Amino acid sequence: MQDSVILMKVDDFFNWGRKNSLWPMTFGLACCAIEMMATGAAKYDLERFGCGAFMATPRRSDLMIVAGTVTLKMATRVKTLYEQMPEPKYVISMGSCANKGGPYWQHGYHVLKGVDEVVPVDVYVPGCPPRPEALIEGLMTLQKKIANERLLRDKWVKHA
Amino acid sequence: MHKEIVEFLNAQVPGCEATLVEAEVGDSTIFIQPSHIKAASLALRDSEKFQMNVLQVITGCDYEDRIEVSYILASFIFNTELILKVKLPKTDKDATVQIDSIVEVWTAADFQERECYDMIGVVFDGHPDFRRILCPEDWKGYPLRKDYVVEEVYNGMVVNPENKMNHEDHYFYKKIQEEQEDPKKVTFSWKD
Repeated sequence: MQDSVILMKVDDFFNWGRKNSLWPMTFGLACCAIEMMATGAAKYDLERFGCGAFMATPRRSDLMIVAGTVTLKMATRVKTLYEQMPEPKYVISMGSCANKGGPYWQHGYHVLKGVDEVVPVDVYVPGCPPRPEALIEGLMTLQKKIANERLLRDKWVKHA
Repeated sequence: MHKEIVEFLNAQVPGCEATLVEAEVGDSTIFIQPSHIKAASLALRDSEKFQMNVLQVITGCDYEDRIEVSYILASFIFNTELILKVKLPKTDKDATVQIDSIVEVWTAADFQERECYDMIGVVFDGHPDFRRILCPEDWKGYPLRKDYVVEEVYNGMVVNPENKMNHEDHYFYKKIQEEQEDPKKVTFSWKD
């Protein structure tokens, strides 16, 4: 093996590594979090996608799954948590509440109408709550997005 | 049971003016004067005959001229339940109403009273840690009041962004409001 050579673009190499070791934050807001837990548990096994290591701190995670209703009280905290995560970071908005307010979309005095009002969202997963398969689909969509990023050129080297 | 309790309260707590409102459907309630709520609760808790040892719920209800606070008590010894109500007249639209706290009688009243204050705006005098429980500290108004209007902006966040609203819902309610003889009967929580 010593004289084996792998030829690969640096961008692709980075992205391959990043997309297969997404570390989500341990962070659930409402009933969607139960589905998220089920997705992480044995039956659906998020670990197959390298995404099962739920980190207990935003400093070590690079994916935030907003699973549940974002109330106005929580919205400021969600924003703080997002800002504490290191770049590059991604957000999956899971369920109708986080997408657009859900059942509270008109009469909820206390609910933020979509988490995209406070943080940028990469993937929206519809459903109330979405089944684990749907969350996995959302995760795979995010992985495809990450695989096509050109991190070195677009983000790190501004004037290349 | 209710008639006995009314007699007991009137004898034990002079001036509480306990009256029984018998319901045709559902549970009967006992109304008392708000100024005697603490004495009445103590009497019910310590009585040999009723032993109301549990406070299950404190809730409020907003009427046009008053706020009714309901205390649902229970005796786990005799397996009985009792709904005790007080009427607190409203002075102004957004004004709070006052009543004595009963945390010293049942500790369970602590969070219940805070929630009642948070949602309906009833101030409980003598509560050890009186502040909002669900809404943020800087929240304005009491959301479960009938005349509550949703804030437009909270903490820099637009509560109902224009591009995310379904305006058909507004039209629907307005149409019902116009069709009704008494438009006050149709309520919704947005500004026109």
